[in-house]
Amino acid sequence: MTYFSFLMTEFCVLWRRKHDVFNAVLFFIIVVSLFPLGIDPAPEFLAPASGGILWCAAVLSILMVIEGIFKEDYRDGSLEQWLVSGLYLPLLVLLKLIVQWAGVVMPLLMVMPLLSQMLYLPSGSFWVLIMTVVLGTPSLFLIGAIGAALTVSLRQGAMLVMLLILPFYLPVIIFAVSAIRASQEGAPYFGFLAMLLAMSLLSLVISPFMTAVAVKASVN
Amino acid sequence: MAFAPEDYQQGNSFRIIYIHVPAAMLAQSCYLGLGIAGFVFLVWQMKIAPIFIKSLAPLGAAMSLIALLSGSIWGKTTWGTWWVWDARLTSVLVLFLLYMGIIALQNALDDVTLANKAAAVMGVVGLINLPIIKYSVIWWNTLHQGPTFTVTEKPSMPVEMWLPLLVSVIGFYGVVAGLLLWRMQSEILWREKRSAWVRQEVLGDGL
Repeated sequence: MTYFSFLMTEFCVLWRRKHDVFNAVLFFIIVVSLFPLGIDPAPEFLAPASGGILWCAAVLSILMVIEGIFKEDYRDGSLEQWLVSGLYLPLLVLLKLIVQWAGVVMPLLMVMPLLSQMLYLPSGSFWVLIMTVVLGTPSLFLIGAIGAALTVSLRQGAMLVMLLILPFYLPVIIFAVSAIRASQEGAPYFGFLAMLLAMSLLSLVISPFMTAVAVKASVN
Repeated sequence: MAFAPEDYQQGNSFRIIYIHVPAAMLAQSCYLGLGIAGFVFLVWQMKIAPIFIKSLAPLGAAMSLIALLSGSIWGKTTWGTWWVWDARLTSVLVLFLLYMGIIALQNALDDVTLANKAAAVMGVVGLINLPIIKYSVIWWNTLHQGPTFTVTEKPSMPVEMWLPLLVSVIGFYGVVAGLLLWRMQSEILWREKRSAWVRQEVLGDGL
């Protein structure tokens, strides 16, 4: 196994299991449609709230995906293969996360224009929304991977993963929604985007190593 | 608590400060302890660190719960509401959720070595992330809601008021440290239950 073959395998697996990604996107759409139905379909409510609704729904659907990110690898023994392959484990984890991120966030981005129109997001704020998703979601994946790796040996770990990592998602949601709202109010929003990028970079430093520790502990 | 004079604005209800403030301080100190112990375990693999984490996490959760409950009772009498989405309240709530996550993780994992590692990882990650969460919440609040209530501005208290507060803070630290040592003791006995010295200790001397 080399890094390149590992990357190809991950792409292949992602492609073969594309229904998982599809389900996540469907879940995203359903959660978004809950808000107008459940609270208020009026544009006066939806327009200011749209950034928050889209972000909360995106976080929930990413949680759905991230929870099972190592499950299949654990069951079929791939995780042990990673350990004995002699390759650097944090790098393998990082490569897998990049593939998963691209595979999940791209479809989400593709449905974003439609949903943001349905929620009456002003068109000027749309690109800010896209920027927050692109800059913020890497940290969601990186943080979530730690929780997923810790609970991979559990049969019913989904609830636990959510309980563990949702508190860590709070700052990302806060800054992303603040950026969108600032752009709606005409205020400067680059500071929030910079904070999102900073959080993604920080989790990039921490997460692969912590995930590797967790994977090692889970397999043995 | 009983001997301090009444506050001229809040009357007797301010006495809850003697529970609220120490509990809130302890809730934060306990998490600091968790994070440091987690780091110690991951780096030096000391056996006592996971025992420390396992014993301390429920205490920290209890302290943050006490801080939340006493704070909301206090808030009802002085602000007229049980709960505000104030920065401090929210960050203590998140702290409580983090504690519950660690406890739930430890309960769910049957394998002791894995549970040790998992709690240590969560402690370290939480220690790094806690300031971020705290400041993001503060920033979020001040940007959109405006400081409705300024709890952060402390009035300069007279000596009769802050001296009992100091005593109760020290007392809370003492109680938590005592409970912690007690829990660690029983945890060590439980983990080493197969070894000879535990048998001798329990059978010979009794507990």
